[in-house]
Amino acid sequence: MSENWVLKEDEAIELLALLISSARIQLDEPARYAPMRMLTATERLSSMILERSSDKSREFLQDNMERIPDMRMEMSDLPAYTEGLEALCRSVAECLLRHSQAKESGA
Amino acid sequence: MSEAVLQCIKTRRVVREMTDEPVTREQIEAILEAARWAPSGGNLRPNRYIVIEDAETRRLVRLVSPGMFQEAPVLILICTNMDVVAEQQVPPSDRALLIDVGTAAQTMMLAAHALGLASGPVTSYSKEAIKVILNLPAGYSPEMIICVGRRAPDARPGMRAFKRITWRDLTHWERFT
Ligand SMILES: Cc1cc2nc3c(=O)[nH]c(=O)nc-3n(C[C@H](O)[C@H](O)[C@H](O)COP(=O)(O)O)c2cc1C
Repeated sequence: MSENWVLKEDEAIELLALLISSARIQLDEPARYAPMRMLTATERLSSMILERSSDKSREFLQDNMERIPDMRMEMSDLPAYTEGLEALCRSVAECLLRHSQAKESGA
Repeated sequence: MSEAVLQCIKTRRVVREMTDEPVTREQIEAILEAARWAPSGGNLRPNRYIVIEDAETRRLVRLVSPGMFQEAPVLILICTNMDVVAEQQVPPSDRALLIDVGTAAQTMMLAAHALGLASGPVTSYSKEAIKVILNLPAGYSPEMIICVGRRAPDARPGMRAFKRITWRDLTHWERFT
């Protein structure tokens, strides 16, 4: 089981600040910027929890931090951007499975 | 006029990954002085500049600025002083006010580039949160942040353009028929 705490209160509030600000600015910005804001929050959260996370998540988190800044540059190339997001969806699903299997096996 | 100005204009790029190497006070002042010479509608000069070097303040500003990817050693916030606007009976919706922000921003980014520094503009932040964090006077409207620093050696290039353009694609000569 991985029930270890990975986020400090300060960090959680920082993430909330980013999410709330993103919600507000999105009202004035093109809809296609919205995924980028979600990815920025994903990248920040990944970097916040990387150190305290278990092996089941570490590679996934590290990968997010490396891949997301590259994806930002590809925003104008919709097929590449879409594929980048699909790849992230696959890897988060794999990470979920690792956690679920560990839970079932009581590891 | 020298070719150097044109070169400076053409080679400036937005930099989104910077080092934490400090920028000197002289360099910051040179950038601010350049802004003072930017054109201003009606010569009203409604822009006010807030320079932020303090690390904790920069961190807080960045937390409410989802569009600020760089961690820059200096932030220059361009505000429109709405008190000046009201005093001079300029309508607050006058386009010239935002154009003034633009002329100052580009002038500062070119000045930074001429000094060998990197820069990047940011408008994607919560204005209300910025007002609270900086305790801005009531009349100050925070319009754009210019990040200033040095380009990280391995900084990624900027966002790719939607399509390659030349000035010809953007220009029409004379009347439309
Ligand atoms: C009004 C305006 C707002 C901008 N806001 C942001 C921003 O919030 N974040 C950012 O990283 N870049 C921002 N930019 C920078 C543009 O994305 C950049 O100028 C454009 O991609 C072209 O890159 P270049 O200036 O290097 O040629 C802004 C530029 C302008 C003119």
